[in-house]
Amino acid sequence: MKPPLPNAEARLRRARPLLGTVVEIQVSGLAPAQLERAISRAFAAITHVQMVMSFHDPASDLSRINRLAARRAVRVDAATWTVLRHARALTRVSEGRFDPSIAPILQRWGLLPGVPHPRQPETNGSAICLLPGRRVRFLAPLTLDLGGIAKGYAVDRAVAVLRRAGVPAGLVNAGGDLRVFGNHAAPVHVRHPTKPGLFFPLGELRDGALATSALTYSGKIQQGTATGALVDPRNGTACGQNLSITVLARSAWLADALTKVVAVDPAAARPILARYGARAVILDTQGRADWLDTPLRHVA
Amino acid sequence: MRFTPALATAATALVGSTSGYAVEYLTVAQAQQTIFPGATFTDASLRLTPEQVKFVSQKSGARLRSPDIHVWRTNTGSWFFLDEVLGKHEFITYAVGLDAKGAVCGVEILVYKESYGQQVQNPKWRAQFTGKTAASPLKLDEDIQNISGATLSSRHVMEGVKRILAIHETALAQR
Repeated sequence: MKPPLPNAEARLRRARPLLGTVVEIQVSGLAPAQLERAISRAFAAITHVQMVMSFHDPASDLSRINRLAARRAVRVDAATWTVLRHARALTRVSEGRFDPSIAPILQRWGLLPGVPHPRQPETNGSAICLLPGRRVRFLAPLTLDLGGIAKGYAVDRAVAVLRRAGVPAGLVNAGGDLRVFGNHAAPVHVRHPTKPGLFFPLGELRDGALATSALTYSGKIQQGTATGALVDPRNGTACGQNLSITVLARSAWLADALTKVVAVDPAAARPILARYGARAVILDTQGRADWLDTPLRHVA
Repeated sequence: MRFTPALATAATALVGSTSGYAVEYLTVAQAQQTIFPGATFTDASLRLTPEQVKFVSQKSGARLRSPDIHVWRTNTGSWFFLDEVLGKHEFITYAVGLDAKGAVCGVEILVYKESYGQQVQNPKWRAQFTGKTAASPLKLDEDIQNISGATLSSRHVMEGVKRILAIHETALAQR
């Protein structure tokens, strides 16, 4: 057996508690010390996204705009700005099926802290106004929650930082919002929508992102009916019950946000998925996988 | 984006697997060097007095399972804590680094294991995860590498970090 070379390429796998879940980073293709440095920068990038887009931290960008932007323009961090731009574009394209202004509904369900504003009517993401100089203004009283998109964006940021550090291949997984880059093939399993100890082999992903939304952990029972973090923003009802929705897309923010569009209305989601070059698969409690596109020609 | 599905046709039933999911990320020695590169470590493990246990529980709002605390001091006066959390379905070993002033300067997960069987509650089963060295790597099921669909919440680990800050305050800050 040959002894390892002093500068041999390594594989590293690290995990930290971030974004309310366990965030894992896998990297390979550089010397161990370089990989360690890159991983530490990538975790720092995720921590930054968590800090500026936290709903719970009163000093975050998100809390500041929720408090002030209905009265005056509020300048935000570049990361918050990018996420708000993506969110607003998807709200428009999905005709309101994705909408970050669902926070009052989640507050009413006890999934987010705080009491919803009494004069705040239905969700209205089109009232988010993005002004020059990274300033945000609401044209109506709104409370935003970026939970449906920021986790994916944090994964994208981490991947960008790893690439900039010269890492040729790797994977970032934030509790199911995952992205793979370089020559790394990731076999992915998806959880059963209601039995979290059961995993289904979904396939192998390269150079792309994947996100799953299901009520497995976020669901709560309220007044006899299950409600969860999957909300139809147009009428405030829970959706996607007993289903697990996985979207494959080029970036993790997109995969993350598109799972909500599919949960609200699978049929209407088809052209939206096609527009973004994304694909979706819905898993039911019987383990049936329903792909929302034409069946693939690949044979596993 | 390139994706090769496990099954080629739409609307087919997938075959589920119930095996547990476990990853060992770091040994204790590796975690020490990750949080405090180049430092040397002296075992400073301690047993809290009943008063200190009470202080920690009140201050952190998190219950202390044992008064025995695994902690090392570095040559630069920082602290390295090793702890584990046991949730309903998860078992996580993690380490927290505190600088000489008691501020968190690193949190690393060493072992993540989730199980929907009974073994997670079994002390013998848990014992195999603690005190691992580079010479005794853990044997894990490697079939399931990446899971999509929410992993367990990190809430227990974050509560553990608060508990460690309270332990530092009551037992170590004066040293």
